[in-house]
Amino acid sequence: MAHRWGMTIDLDLCTGCQACVVACQAENNIPINTEENFQQRRAIEWIRVERYWEGEFPNVKARYIPVPCMMCENAPCEPVCPVYASYHTDQGLNFQVYNRCIGTRYCSVNCHWHVRFFNFWEPKWPDSLKQQLNPLVAVRSRGVMEKCSFCIQRIDHAEQSAQLQGRDVKDGDFTTACAQACPTRAIVFGDLNNADSEVAKTVASTKRGYQLLADLGTNPAVVYLKKIDADPLPEDSKHKYFDSSQYTRVKETVAVG
Amino acid sequence: MGRIIKPVIVVVILLLVLAIPALAVVARSYILAPVAQPAKAQPIAFPHSIHVNVVGLDCTFCHRGATTQADSTVPALQLCMGCHAIIPTTDRPQLEKLVNAFNSGTPINWTRVHQLPDHVHFVHAMHINAGFNCATCHGDVASMAPGAVVQVRDLRMGDCITCHRENNAPTDCSTCHY
Repeated sequence: MAHRWGMTIDLDLCTGCQACVVACQAENNIPINTEENFQQRRAIEWIRVERYWEGEFPNVKARYIPVPCMMCENAPCEPVCPVYASYHTDQGLNFQVYNRCIGTRYCSVNCHWHVRFFNFWEPKWPDSLKQQLNPLVAVRSRGVMEKCSFCIQRIDHAEQSAQLQGRDVKDGDFTTACAQACPTRAIVFGDLNNADSEVAKTVASTKRGYQLLADLGTNPAVVYLKKIDADPLPEDSKHKYFDSSQYTRVKETVAVG
Repeated sequence: MGRIIKPVIVVVILLLVLAIPALAVVARSYILAPVAQPAKAQPIAFPHSIHVNVVGLDCTFCHRGATTQADSTVPALQLCMGCHAIIPTTDRPQLEKLVNAFNSGTPINWTRVHQLPDHVHFVHAMHINAGFNCATCHGDVASMAPGAVVQVRDLRMGDCITCHRENNAPTDCSTCHY
């Protein structure tokens, strides 16, 4: 059976430390974002940690949600690409072919999770960092869309190594850079089609799983586990606009695959 | 007279403009093709012929990564010196360069012959283990002149895809491009 790579992100374990963001930045040769880039809203972060405030001062709680590409099964970014640069691999990955991309940016407009990024400039690194670029990942040039690839270089390498050893890829053979860097193991990566994998077991057994913007019906491969709030804020102190529970619909069971 | 010349000039200019893409395609197939490029200059005129035909070494004796990893790898000078430490260098200027480089600890900057674009990831190990010979893509390197290895196969995407289709290999974009 073909693989369906997926991820579970346990928001109860996430501390918002941004290690995943840094690891992704290093693994995937993502250009360094300056303050100016951020202010122009042109920063590139294949995974970002969104922060929400819950409650009114002084009863405020910070909520963190790491957001990589959701790898939708019915991805809205795919049908709008005029040159098929954004397409679906047979493993269910929503993939960007950099050398096909002509930079229309339709895909980023059509992505509801804002996880597609455009290279507005030629990427530059200071001389001291040039030696740390990952040779397994192409540096995207100006005018090209890019996005989280679920560390396709690691997937390919694991599959090839397994093939050379005459076996299938096992759960735990490899993981993505963000999952590897996560100090609390909030992010777990694996094959949703493999019933023995950690992600498949979590998705099958959890009562707090939900998908981000699941209402859109794109069936993302990233499943979030809702935060367990041991000490919830009183109802009346919750901020009426930034209550994270308004944006997250919890499902009893999540249909994935 | 002027009534004839004017449309003739327009037609000639139009034909010239239309010829540009056609010429570009022709140039890409012939003049600009990788196989049409002359041999690149190498810091040492390394003779593959002696190592393969005379000494009888296998390609993978020196290019050790080819069977296990993505890059076939150019050997470190240490490996050369395994044999060359006891081979006299008198009257052999090319060998002298090698020994001097090893003794002074300066790596040799070989000129890369088979240069794929950065967005293409070729894995030697998969192809070797699928049963292909090095010569399928690289040609008969052993018979090439010292220091004059040339590319004999196109190795552009059309070439790759054709071979992948013939051999039932994956043709998914993400196989090579990431």
